[in-house]
Amino acid sequence: MSSDAIRIMVIDDEIQIRRVLTVVLTQHGYDVREAASGGEGLSLAATLKPDLIVLDLGLPDIDGVEVLHRLREWTQTPVIILSVREDESDKVVALDAGADDYVTKPFVMGEFLARVRVALRRRAEETDEPVLTFGELTLDLARRLVTVRGEKLKLSATEYEVLKCLATYKGRVVTHAHLLRTIRGRHHHGDSHYLRVYIAQLRRKIEEDPNHPQYIITEPGVGYRLTTTG
Amino acid sequence: MNTPAPEKPIDLLASVGPFRSRLPAVQAYLYPLLSVALVTVVGKIVTPFFDIVNVTLLYVLPVLVAAVRWGLKPSLFASFLGVLAFDFFFVPPVYSFAKADPKDLAVLATFLLVGIVTATMATRLRNEVARTRKEEKRTLALYSLSQRMASKADLDEIAQTFARTAAEAAGGQVSILMPEKGSLVLREVAAHPRRGTRLSEKEQAVVQWVLEHGRPAGRGTETLRKATELVFPAKAGKNTMAALMIDLNEKHEALPSEQAQLVEALANLAAVAITRIRLAQEAERVQWLMESDKLHRALLNSISHDLRTPIASVMGAVTGLLEAESVRNGETTKAFLEMIKEGATRLNRFVANLLDMARLESDTLRLKTEWCDIQDIVGVTLREMHDAVRDRPMRIDIPPDLPLVAADFALIEHVLINLLENGVKYSPPGSEISLTVRTSETALLVTVADHGPLIPEHERDHVFEKFYRLQYSKSTDGTGLGLSICKGIIEAHGGEIWVDPSSGPGNSFTFSLPIREQPSMQAEEEEGERHVV
Repeated sequence: MSSDAIRIMVIDDEIQIRRVLTVVLTQHGYDVREAASGGEGLSLAATLKPDLIVLDLGLPDIDGVEVLHRLREWTQTPVIILSVREDESDKVVALDAGADDYVTKPFVMGEFLARVRVALRRRAEETDEPVLTFGELTLDLARRLVTVRGEKLKLSATEYEVLKCLATYKGRVVTHAHLLRTIRGRHHHGDSHYLRVYIAQLRRKIEEDPNHPQYIITEPGVGYRLTTTG
Repeated sequence: MNTPAPEKPIDLLASVGPFRSRLPAVQAYLYPLLSVALVTVVGKIVTPFFDIVNVTLLYVLPVLVAAVRWGLKPSLFASFLGVLAFDFFFVPPVYSFAKADPKDLAVLATFLLVGIVTATMATRLRNEVARTRKEEKRTLALYSLSQRMASKADLDEIAQTFARTAAEAAGGQVSILMPEKGSLVLREVAAHPRRGTRLSEKEQAVVQWVLEHGRPAGRGTETLRKATELVFPAKAGKNTMAALMIDLNEKHEALPSEQAQLVEALANLAAVAITRIRLAQEAERVQWLMESDKLHRALLNSISHDLRTPIASVMGAVTGLLEAESVRNGETTKAFLEMIKEGATRLNRFVANLLDMARLESDTLRLKTEWCDIQDIVGVTLREMHDAVRDRPMRIDIPPDLPLVAADFALIEHVLINLLENGVKYSPPGSEISLTVRTSETALLVTVADHGPLIPEHERDHVFEKFYRLQYSKSTDGTGLGLSICKGIIEAHGGEIWVDPSSGPGNSFTFSLPIREQPSMQAEEEEGERHVV
């Protein structure tokens, strides 16, 4: 393993999860370290300074969100949360506390790896980009121009803001609350039903088949993400 | 809900209490005086034609009338007055009290005796009749009370009626206390509560004694007679179900025996009614336990079968892969792996169904309601079901600009997953499955239709029951839970779910979600926002 390899730390108390993640991530060229508890993870992170942390929310010793808080006290390293489907509110809390993305158990490896890549990209490309591309969707932030499949889109100001917010997250999930804050900056109250309507409108303009969205993906109970063929 | 018409009060008080003349004392004595005077006048008129002995008979009349109408004392007064009048006005020498003939004294004495006896006996007879009539009224009142009680099913209503009636009968505050789960519960208090509803320790002691011993205690009885209240047991057979505590006003030494008897009768009626209700509650509970037991057994069977089946396929595929190289090639490996993936997915969905069912059963299903776009939910469902519907042509028909629905996103997603899963499972491979959304005036209607064999009409309601499997599908795996969960979820949202034959061959499952008033949306155009080109 070359020292240039991206280092990922997996904090999960279940050995099966650690095992399968280590095997797959290593296969994809990452350098993987494991920690079996929150305490172990925190001290290991301080010495290893990993490029990405995979953190399970259901840790036995310290609450996963608490681990996240402590990490965020000294590092901005990307964190991906692992959790069980039913704890939707926990995921939102973790995302608001500084987690970059999440994966629900049982997860699909392809999805997991994609989120790892996206989270790492954030770190690598800290500089602002004027043009963001997602498959056949392009946003030119400098010129406020949106094209999909070669055609220019006509968006209202708020629709544009929502899309821009999703786009700047470059594939990471954006919580409802965060999107609403973006809209609230304008004149609306920013209640959740507005968001639903804007997303529906955006989908109608962007997606080839709004019934099978490929770009704007709903993460139930959490928020939305902009991706290419999620 | 209509409040039932207030019931006519049962007038037990009219059947209780001694008969008292309604007239004040002056009149009670004035009328006998007048009637004696009247008789004297009449006597004077008829004397020329009849013997004076007949006049004595006339003087018996006021005595009788007084006895019947005004009581013993007035009638004695009438008799005494009659003798005097007879002596004065009729016995020679007339208009004087002196007697010429000593025999006349004897006559007068006899007459007085007759008067007294008549008065006494007439009064007694009158009282007897009055008492009988009272008792008859009381029996009738108790009977109609007991009839009324027979129809009531609510413990509180019964306690209320009894307390009120007893309070009327006893003329004091009545509290009904029942032992419940080891402690004493104050069920009902009636008639001008002038103090709080907490029992003092002394009162509690008296009530406890009564409940234990099944005999009245308190003021006026042999037990605990220093107490300020009187407590009656409400007994049905040997069991004391409750205690009636009567708080007498200070002036009462003890409850008059008639009223005490009445209260006792009421208490026993109450006990019978309470016993009846308790038995009915017990019967319901046993019934519920039996149903619950049946359900548990069905659930265990289902779990055993439906968990084990996908695990079996996973085990089979995995051990197949672990086997020595022998018959393996890339395609077989891929097939095994797909089997494992499918097995795991099915297990995951089964767990989701079980969790949903547990939430529905526990009655604490709290919907996480938010404004939802049905197209959004469909999109998530289709992504989730991607593999399952892979080999099926899917026809999705969702019109634009549908109203938002207030719903629990995840639960509606589960409903759609279950319906689609069923559609795939019970229709021929490769046949089309459609999902259509429409609106009615009051609801959003979502229909999932397949080309599978029609569910017979008589089974169309039953399919939504837990663990129900159609006659022809017993061999297919699956819990039989899916549709009942859908029903539970949809009904929790205030909607309905049903199955119809679809327009094409096959079944069509439709559920409705009520459309509430849409949240207000300020149009952007009003603000004059500039559009992005």
